[in-house]
Amino acid sequence: MEADDVVKTHLQELRRGTVVVASLTALREPGHGYALLQTLAGYGFAVDANTLYPLLRRLEDQGLLLSEWNTDESRPRKIYRTSLRGESVLAVLLEDMAAITSSIDRLTQGERS
Amino acid sequence: MTTTLTDRYVHAVQRSVPEARREEIGRELRSSIDDMVDARDDLDRDEAERVVLTDLGDPGVLAAQYADRPLHLIGPRYFLTYWRLMLRLLTWIPGAVALVVLTVVMIRNDSSADAVGAAVSAGFQAAVQVVFWTTVVFAVLERVDVDPGLPGWTVDALPDAPDERDISLVDTVTALVFIGLFGVVLVVQNFRSWVQGPDGEDVAVLDPALWSGWLPLLLAVLVANAALEVWKHREGRWTGPIVAATSVVSLAFALPFAWLAWRDSLLNPEFVDAVGMNERVLGYVNDGIVAGAVVIVLIEVVDALWKLRRRRLASA
Repeated sequence: MEADDVVKTHLQELRRGTVVVASLTALREPGHGYALLQTLAGYGFAVDANTLYPLLRRLEDQGLLLSEWNTDESRPRKIYRTSLRGESVLAVLLEDMAAITSSIDRLTQGERS
Repeated sequence: MTTTLTDRYVHAVQRSVPEARREEIGRELRSSIDDMVDARDDLDRDEAERVVLTDLGDPGVLAAQYADRPLHLIGPRYFLTYWRLMLRLLTWIPGAVALVVLTVVMIRNDSSADAVGAAVSAGFQAAVQVVFWTTVVFAVLERVDVDPGLPGWTVDALPDAPDERDISLVDTVTALVFIGLFGVVLVVQNFRSWVQGPDGEDVAVLDPALWSGWLPLLLAVLVANAALEVWKHREGRWTGPIVAATSVVSLAFALPFAWLAWRDSLLNPEFVDAVGMNERVLGYVNDGIVAGAVVIVLIEVVDALWKLRRRRLASA
């Protein structure tokens, strides 16, 4: 039980930053908060609603997301999409993730030899 | 129209986010909640609403996340500074306040029990004030976006590693406190004692005639003794000169006592009468003082020599 908690904590820390990467990637296709939540869940990102909604706001404040209200449907929804600035930040983040993965790979192989 | 749980939830979040974005956040949150409730079509609407809102959790936490507000009083950025400063203040402010109050109340001639009570109470209140105000200042710092320019940590701030010393700070402070107390008793007994003479005035325990020579000398010896304790602490261990000085100071204090008691000129004759001592008892008391003084000197000198010897054996 205790060991599970340890694993859970480490996984949480490992995934914390990846929600931003996933959101910026997914919102290249415009969508509203709940739709994004479902998309992320579908791809295996277990994000809580109470984490994601404030995060979207913060990303919008930082200019990484753009938003507009869609009033076409019966319920008005705030639609987010990744801004140009968001794209360039995303590129940096993705590059860093790739670098981390390759570093880990090399480290693992180095251990074997 | 009755208010739904969602209304109440959204309101609870809205009221603790900045006013400028209150409406926008409320609108967005409501539409998201509605979406989530719709998605739970396995449950009836009321139940779904309950489940969704329960998952979203405490609206206060959500609002804090929206507003980027800390959910702690003092965070890691300031905690250590806060803690160190508070400990530093607590080490001397309450004690100093207690001492001042003690002195003032004593001078005002109230009973010493009252003085001690007032001092303890004042010291405690000072400690509470220190804790409260330090905490308030740092809790505010945590919440405003300014750089207070507090000194950061440097390697120079590292504490000294404990070196091997025979004489700890506690030993020294204890010795100094006792020396101070002894000095205070020597002086105060002249004005306030627990014995009243026939006219109801306090009677000095020691012969007031001694103030023209012996008592100032004893006080001077006490000052020398305090200086010796400080020197001892700086050295950190027993050395030949320190043992010699300890013996001299100890003798310089005890011998006058013994000598005066031997000649029966130590105790105040008025005091002797007031407590009803007869000639024989007075003789015993004087002998007792002489014997006590000699024993104390012997103990101090032997103890110092013993510690010096142990030290030499250990370092040999």
